[in-house]
Amino acid sequence: MVEPTVLVVDDSPTVRKIVQMTLQREHIRVITVGDGLSALTSVADEMPAVILLDIQLPRMDGYQICQIIRKNLQFRQIPIIMLSGKDGLFDKMRGRLAGSTEYLTKPFDSVELVQTVKKHLANWQERVPVPQQNVRHRLRYRG
Amino acid sequence: MDQQDRIMDGDLQTLGLQSILKMLALSGKTGKLFVSSGPETLSISLRKGQIVGLHEDGVPQPDILGMLCLINKLDPPRAEMIRELSKGDMHVALAMLVERGWMNANEMQQRLEFAVTQSISHALRWVNGRFAFHRQLVPMESKLRPLDVDSVLLEALRQADEWEKIASEGVTQFTRTTVARWQPEVSNDVRSLGLNQESIEVLCLSNGELSLQAVALVLMAPEARIARVMAHLFELGLIEVVDTVLETELQQDLSNIIIKCQYTLVQHRNTTNVEQHLLGLVTTLSECINGLLIHHGTYAKSLRGRGHVPSIEIVRYLEGCFAQHLRTLAKQQFSILDTATFHYGQLDCTDILTLNKVVKGEQLEEFYWEAVQGLAAFLRVIFTELLRDEVGNSHTGRQLTVAWRIFLSEIDHDIQQYQFYRAQRKTQRRGYENIQPSALGMVPNWSAAPDNNGGFWSPETRRRSI
Repeated sequence: MVEPTVLVVDDSPTVRKIVQMTLQREHIRVITVGDGLSALTSVADEMPAVILLDIQLPRMDGYQICQIIRKNLQFRQIPIIMLSGKDGLFDKMRGRLAGSTEYLTKPFDSVELVQTVKKHLANWQERVPVPQQNVRHRLRYRG
Repeated sequence: MDQQDRIMDGDLQTLGLQSILKMLALSGKTGKLFVSSGPETLSISLRKGQIVGLHEDGVPQPDILGMLCLINKLDPPRAEMIRELSKGDMHVALAMLVERGWMNANEMQQRLEFAVTQSISHALRWVNGRFAFHRQLVPMESKLRPLDVDSVLLEALRQADEWEKIASEGVTQFTRTTVARWQPEVSNDVRSLGLNQESIEVLCLSNGELSLQAVALVLMAPEARIARVMAHLFELGLIEVVDTVLETELQQDLSNIIIKCQYTLVQHRNTTNVEQHLLGLVTTLSECINGLLIHHGTYAKSLRGRGHVPSIEIVRYLEGCFAQHLRTLAKQQFSILDTATFHYGQLDCTDILTLNKVVKGEQLEEFYWEAVQGLAAFLRVIFTELLRDEVGNSHTGRQLTVAWRIFLSEIDHDIQQYQFYRAQRKTQRRGYENIQPSALGMVPNWSAAPDNNGGFWSPETRRRSI
């Protein structure tokens, strides 16, 4: 049985490591990247079951990445959990408009993180479509 | 799963797993048998009455590749490659090892058979639970050669009997999920202890990461026998049993502290002048130190398992552990730390944080800089001591050390930027104004240093701090 993978996108190596360590302890497979373009590549290559996405990222911000994923038929069902230090209503609204599934405010609690990820990992096989070959070309940045 | 596919179900108390399997084997059934007890579920795939696959839910799959490395049967780079490709599936991983000629097909079959027997043996001991048989199609790509139910049951029952036997001998603290690790104090050559080969192998695999079940799987020895060996090693004081629940809590608490301090660090990157930034670092470091002190007051080894410990005792313990280190640092290198004192088990840095009321300008900057260096050194001492005491040289300890180093590197990055700024300022004062550190690739956008329009930190650093 193939394990579900969680993709963590954050420019802080500390956050990446802590999230990876916390989820791996729960026997969840984790891959991490530090910028927006690598995130899109990983989405196409790994077909993650859940994406944890920071908003402030080099080259392309979290809102843009979220919109690109949501416009793609292959990946639009993947739950995206936004991670951000901004906890204002406007920021949460903006995240929702971009297509995020849930919003976690930094500094987040490890237990809350695990609970949120597990909630979205339930029934992941039913939700995520069967991977197809050569899907990377479909993920294009359209501004 | 369609209800109409379920052709049989019931209670394990009414019909035991042994009888169900025998019945399905005799009637040559094809389908999947689900057996569950509490949070654990076992699914056994049958084709024409023979076992062709088994999966355990609620039990993490052991890292067979890592374990083969530990017993020198596989090179770590090869293991890493297979791990990537197999995505954690043990059956796929073993098949890949055979494909590449790194394991022979017989060994793969033996290991798969052993894993099936081990799981069924465990389930045979369940008293309460339910079963259901679904006549759905069984996947064809199973790596396991079909197994005869009778021979599997015979060996599984023998292993289950062994568990009963060791329980009657008083070995009850070891279960299949027990994780053991060697005592950090033991540094003798294990060959000098007079242990047999199996005990040495178990000792080597007791790394605080592998469960008893996983050790049995890699050594292909019954779990009960491994439990007996572990009990012997425990009596000799060579291993300790890891409290995984406590370590999970402990790791979560430390992770929260690191995440909170990283957040504080990032927030202070928004500041537009040097003094504010140094003050931000002092705040981050003192917050981190106090977070770790609170944590250690809860998880220190000598305070554990004693129920409610009076806070005065915790305070005394923490000061006993760390106050001397603080005094030494203050005496030898960072005299400003003399102004930081322990107050109810917390480091009180009020005098440093309010220095701006006493001094100004470059002198204030110098004091802050010394405080940053001193507190960073003290923070390192606290974390090292804390980890050594709480988790020792365990898997959790190593994981936390890596996470901690990464966090420290973020602090160091900010400290280095300030060091470059100092170096640049010195250079300018000596009359080398034309040399720009940014031209040397050290600090981007350095020329705007410390002004009033946010030019001190590079755009990249500021962007990351939003």
